[in-house]
Amino acid sequence: MSEIKRRDFLKILGLSGAGTGLVGCAQEPAKKLIPYLVQPEEIIPGIPNWYASVCRECPAGCGVHVKVREGRPIKVEGNPDHPVNAGRLCARGQASLQGLYNPDRIASPMRRVAETGEFAPISWEEAEAFLAERIQALRQAGRADRLHFLTDAAAGSSERLFAAWMEALGSPNRLIFESFDLEPLREANRLTFGTAEIPSYELDRADLIVSFGAGFLETWSSPVQYARQFSRSHSFGDGRKGRFIHVSPRRSLTGSNADQWVPIRPASAMLVALAMTRELVADGHAGARGAAIRPLVEPFTPERVAEAAGIEAETVSQLAREFAESPASLALPPGVELADRNATATHVAVNLLNYAAGNVGRTVRFGPNLRRGRPAGVERLQALVTAMNGGAAEIVLVHGVDPIHTLPSAFGLSEALENVGLLVSFASYMDETAARADLILPDHTPLESWGDHSPAVGVHGLQQPTINPVFDSKHTGDVLLSLAARMGGDMAERLAWPNFNSYLQESWQTIHQEFAPSQSFEQFWRAAVSRGGVWREVAAQPVTLSRAVGGVEFDVPTLDGDATTPYTLITYPSPNLYDGRSANRPWLQELPDPVTKIVWNSWIEIHPDAASQLGVQTGDVLTVTSPSGRLDVAAFVHEGVRADTVAIPLGQGHEHFGRWASGRGVNPLSLLPVAKDATTGSPARLATRVALSATGGRSRLVVVQGSDDDQGREIAEVVSLAAALEAEEHAHVAIEREPDALVESAQDADPKSPYRWGMAIDLSSCIGCSACVTACYAENNIPVVGEENCAQGREMAWLRIESYYEHVVEENGHGGGHGEGAVHDESKGSHVVHLPMMCQHCGNAPCEPVCPVYATYHNPEGLNVQVYNRCVGTRYCSNNCPYKVRRFEWFDFEFPYPLNLQLNPDVTVRQKGVMEKCTFCVQRIMSARSDANARGRDVADGEVVPACAQTCPAEAIVFGNLRDSNSRVSKLARSGRAYHVLGELNTRPAVTYLKEVARGHEEG
Amino acid sequence: MATVSPPARTSFGRVSRDIIGALWEPDWRYRVMMLVLIAVLGWAGYAWVYQIKVGMGTAGITHPVMWGVYITNFVFWVGIAHSGTLISAILYLLRSGWRTTINRAAEAMTIFAVMTAGLFPLIHLGRVWYFYFLAPYPNQRLLWPNFRSPLIWDFFAISTYFTISLLFWYSGLIPDLATIRDRMKGLTGRMARFKERAYGLLSLGWQGSDSQWRNYRRAYLYMAAIATPLVLSVHSVVSWDFAMAITPGWHSTIFAPYFVAGAIFSGIAMVITLSVPFRWALGLEDYITEYHYDNMGKLLLLTSLIVGYAYVAEYFMAWYSGDPVEWESFAWRATGDYAGPFAIMMTCNVLIPLLCFSRKIRRNITAIFIISLFVNIGMWYERFVIIVSALAHEFEPAAWGLYKPTWVELSITAGSFAWFLFWFMLFAKTLPAISITEVKESMAEGVWSPGDKKEDS
Repeated sequence: MSEIKRRDFLKILGLSGAGTGLVGCAQEPAKKLIPYLVQPEEIIPGIPNWYASVCRECPAGCGVHVKVREGRPIKVEGNPDHPVNAGRLCARGQASLQGLYNPDRIASPMRRVAETGEFAPISWEEAEAFLAERIQALRQAGRADRLHFLTDAAAGSSERLFAAWMEALGSPNRLIFESFDLEPLREANRLTFGTAEIPSYELDRADLIVSFGAGFLETWSSPVQYARQFSRSHSFGDGRKGRFIHVSPRRSLTGSNADQWVPIRPASAMLVALAMTRELVADGHAGARGAAIRPLVEPFTPERVAEAAGIEAETVSQLAREFAESPASLALPPGVELADRNATATHVAVNLLNYAAGNVGRTVRFGPNLRRGRPAGVERLQALVTAMNGGAAEIVLVHGVDPIHTLPSAFGLSEALENVGLLVSFASYMDETAARADLILPDHTPLESWGDHSPAVGVHGLQQPTINPVFDSKHTGDVLLSLAARMGGDMAERLAWPNFNSYLQESWQTIHQEFAPSQSFEQFWRAAVSRGGVWREVAAQPVTLSRAVGGVEFDVPTLDGDATTPYTLITYPSPNLYDGRSANRPWLQELPDPVTKIVWNSWIEIHPDAASQLGVQTGDVLTVTSPSGRLDVAAFVHEGVRADTVAIPLGQGHEHFGRWASGRGVNPLSLLPVAKDATTGSPARLATRVALSATGGRSRLVVVQGSDDDQGREIAEVVSLAAALEAEEHAHVAIEREPDALVESAQDADPKSPYRWGMAIDLSSCIGCSACVTACYAENNIPVVGEENCAQGREMAWLRIESYYEHVVEENGHGGGHGEGAVHDESKGSHVVHLPMMCQHCGNAPCEPVCPVYATYHNPEGLNVQVYNRCVGTRYCSNNCPYKVRRFEWFDFEFPYPLNLQLNPDVTVRQKGVMEKCTFCVQRIMSARSDANARGRDVADGEVVPACAQTCPAEAIVFGNLRDSNSRVSKLARSGRAYHVLGELNTRPAVTYLKEVARGHEEG
Repeated sequence: MATVSPPARTSFGRVSRDIIGALWEPDWRYRVMMLVLIAVLGWAGYAWVYQIKVGMGTAGITHPVMWGVYITNFVFWVGIAHSGTLISAILYLLRSGWRTTINRAAEAMTIFAVMTAGLFPLIHLGRVWYFYFLAPYPNQRLLWPNFRSPLIWDFFAISTYFTISLLFWYSGLIPDLATIRDRMKGLTGRMARFKERAYGLLSLGWQGSDSQWRNYRRAYLYMAAIATPLVLSVHSVVSWDFAMAITPGWHSTIFAPYFVAGAIFSGIAMVITLSVPFRWALGLEDYITEYHYDNMGKLLLLTSLIVGYAYVAEYFMAWYSGDPVEWESFAWRATGDYAGPFAIMMTCNVLIPLLCFSRKIRRNITAIFIISLFVNIGMWYERFVIIVSALAHEFEPAAWGLYKPTWVELSITAGSFAWFLFWFMLFAKTLPAISITEVKESMAEGVWSPGDKKEDS
């Protein structure tokens, strides 16, 4: 009898009922996690492994720690031991993961099929055999010099291997190309001090920084390092604060942090620097040094220079006086965007200024010099183009650069490539140059490769693979060695390493000898790999004024164009996209430009006066015409440029380069002529003037910040140094005056909980670089929504940088709120305050009572938590949030493969229809707490570091326990400068802001 | 009940005949109209399914304007739902005889408007499939809704209002249903038998006995007394969705009376808008006359003046409070990107209804119909302006933003009108659209009789 029993029947009924219920509710079928059958050593599921490596997103060479979970890198953080970045990283560094996991990577070697003109995938064997044969043929014909090799300016073993390979091949035509080179600076140092090096600028020791335009907080030279140093001296602390004067036609992100902006006429930095030097010398501040340079600078009186620079003579004298009287001043040269036809002379002028003020050896130190490759000048590039056109470039190999995109189109490189017999690209992505190639041999991305990079003397960063290659790519070093082996004979003998790793280890033998001769190489190597390289202190070397400086001609550089082209064009590196190499990273495309807050596009910055002359507003399309080209781009009207100057960022305007970069914005390099610095031949970017005309069209320009004027609401506050000092002295008074707001938020947690998590953000440190924003995206699986959604205001950033234009408050205010006697100035100010805004985890949170289902509530540790599972999406919480930091999942946003591999397994990927916001990186709090619990103690101060605070190059964000009165965050929350944004609403935020401090020219 | 004789002009029998006569087989125009409504409903249904499938992003709502047309519609329809109870309950308690011919339709309108309004909280949910989280149902996790949230108050307010309105409406219908049942007895055919049984069932065995009448009148009076405070409470609670938030432009104590007045204003307007074509289509011109429109016009004028006062008071308070955030929000409301909707709101709700000061206009059915249309439009825009313009400009200037509805929201809005009219038209052909009982009572009491325009009122 197989009759069903009553019990069985009930079981089946119950199970099928439950099953139906489950299937009915589940949004996606459950997926099983498969445990390791044989667990790999070192991998414990759920516990990350950290690998030290080097960031290769720009030549700065920051050290990184890569967080790897179950074999997948999920986060990149700065290496705290590294001398360059000391644990910090910029937005581009954070986004290197999206380079690794970019869905538009070239998945395998490809060869162009002659018949169709399309690429077809081939095997590495075929690809290498084919290339080896072609090169061999060239060599045997005795035309090895017809092989040209273009590479980036890395300083390390690949660089040496490229050189060795070319030498073995017998071709002298190796060409280093780098979009932003420092050659004029190097040459100026040779002329001034007899040493062709890039010195170490010690911004942290400077009391007064006068910059002639270098974007040292964004792209210039080593931005993370400089940002850290800058914030150390420039933020308010110990009763002092450095002063920064930005002397440049455009107020860049760097300039937005200045205490004073002197908008000089483009290409007049040299004159201003010389006039300042002259004043210094004339007033006897230069002492004995003055005598040597007096004849050089004598003709440059402030009056004469003021005219040319478009500023008051008195301003020049004020600058000179301040510079001379500062106990430690530092002048920084113009950045790459301001490199004109006499860039070297400008750099010499800045050198003279530093020299006259006695800064050389103090804030400018030779010895611990920066190391950069020596990029080819304009003449070499032109020679290459000529060679191509003349058929003398039969094989051209391109590695790590995209010259079609990053060279002004006036060079004619794009056309010349037509005449190249075989163009081989080693690009990982289909960039403009790769798209023209005949053969593509995709390189690993840096996170997949062995490598090294030496960004400074005494610093050797070591790169290690952190994941098995995601696609069928191959290290270019391996390809070159393999090609050599295939060609055999002399080549194979001279390049007999089995792979690049062995070459790398061999080249580290010398470093081994230098650093740790007593250890075995194996020991040394293991230690170096785990540490991310080796480094040592390098002593400063004294330099003296060189006689060569006497021969420098301080001619005012020329600009192309005439009376019909009234505006000088600045093409500056984008803080997010650099020269365009980062344009395929959606995080960076969606990261608002720190100055304009524009996403996903190009724009032209134009002064309101010029705009009203042309009758245009933000978003109107302008035709920009230079003697070399023309383009159409949308206007962004603001006061950050002079009225006679316009500025367009670099980085966009790709035709290829993947789904996120292609067809987006414009490449202003099409407007530039072939221009060079007279001395070094390095490309001049400040070289032309342009005419503007309104097309009458409108363009969608997505500015994600609603208003840059805080309407006198005391959201972003800035006080004078005197007021800050007074506030600091009377800190206890300030607390008494507003006790509940600043201190009582520590009570907003369960009385039994040892913790009330809180944050303090020092606005006098924050530089607005937005690295925290990208770090937050990476840590918290925040989706990228694209330009259209951004246009509707649907960007998902949990953390945003609000930039407000403020008035400096001269009197000591008191923490937060529209207190009695507070002066409301309704007009917009001119001091830029960058304010990171995220969930304030209010003790009395307006979002909490309105949620009908308790999806948002206050947890015992004082966090305002969001329960995604419970959220039904009424969005009432967002309406009631005065800070507007809550974000809603409008769609099921996608992470196209392999971008999904980057997702942080500790953070939920949210479904459509739920609300989300900053959690204070609750996953990090939980992990620190469980570690502490396991040790039987409470979490100690500094053990929880949210992603934003971790990466902040300016160390502006401090996180910790407000209940612990000795924690850093508690101390900061009791500072005299502390205030709560919109504290008058009695929201009792856990985030305390410290007022920005501006130091006027008579303070110090 | 004392026996009374009808006035000479109209007989009780004619009243029954006229009103029940409207229930006979619909003609082709009715059928076409219904088909159009169903088509619009279908399209709106598609839009909703699309929105659920793809995400709320298909609607125009965004950061920071997280509520848009859906909540506008919600408040609008709740407002429409107000006149029914007002006319039935309050005017009943106040013994205003003129209510008798319009109360049935107004009550039906209330019920259908609540049914429409109730859909919008669901439509606007990010995860509508978890709508039951909002209900206090027992569950293993011991999770209850948050009774501090005005949205939960809404849930209770609306469901209470719906229940009471439905019962009130139904109890008023009982004698009339019995009248229809009795009429069916004289007819032959299967349909007549079915109707007899159906109306018989619904009339709960009404016999018209004295004791039934006595109990019935008493029950109806109590019901009216219970329903009356709801007129005030429901829209007060709805207004607290806004007033309880700290959003500038919402956070105001005037909201409850302001919203209640607005609700009655819009409800009256909707009664006018619906009754004009309805009296024509069903041939009931004698039953709803200039007399009724004159009275409704007065009510419209009164509530318009209250609403207008509230607008001014809001601005005054924003200015007088000295709160720069509040003031900026209000200044921007009138002059910023939503100045257009603001102007529509002011014109339709404050200026145009002033015409009702003229008795001539109040008694001109075409004129009052047009005015009522303007008021309907104006009241929809009022809710739009309050919701959207307040959210667009809040405390953080950096997070200011704009909102524009999409086709999904507009389709669903159109669908809500179709849904409402669909039920209303169904009602007009199945139930007596005018209370037979009450008309007869008025006639008997000599207050009013069909065809009487009461020129001297």
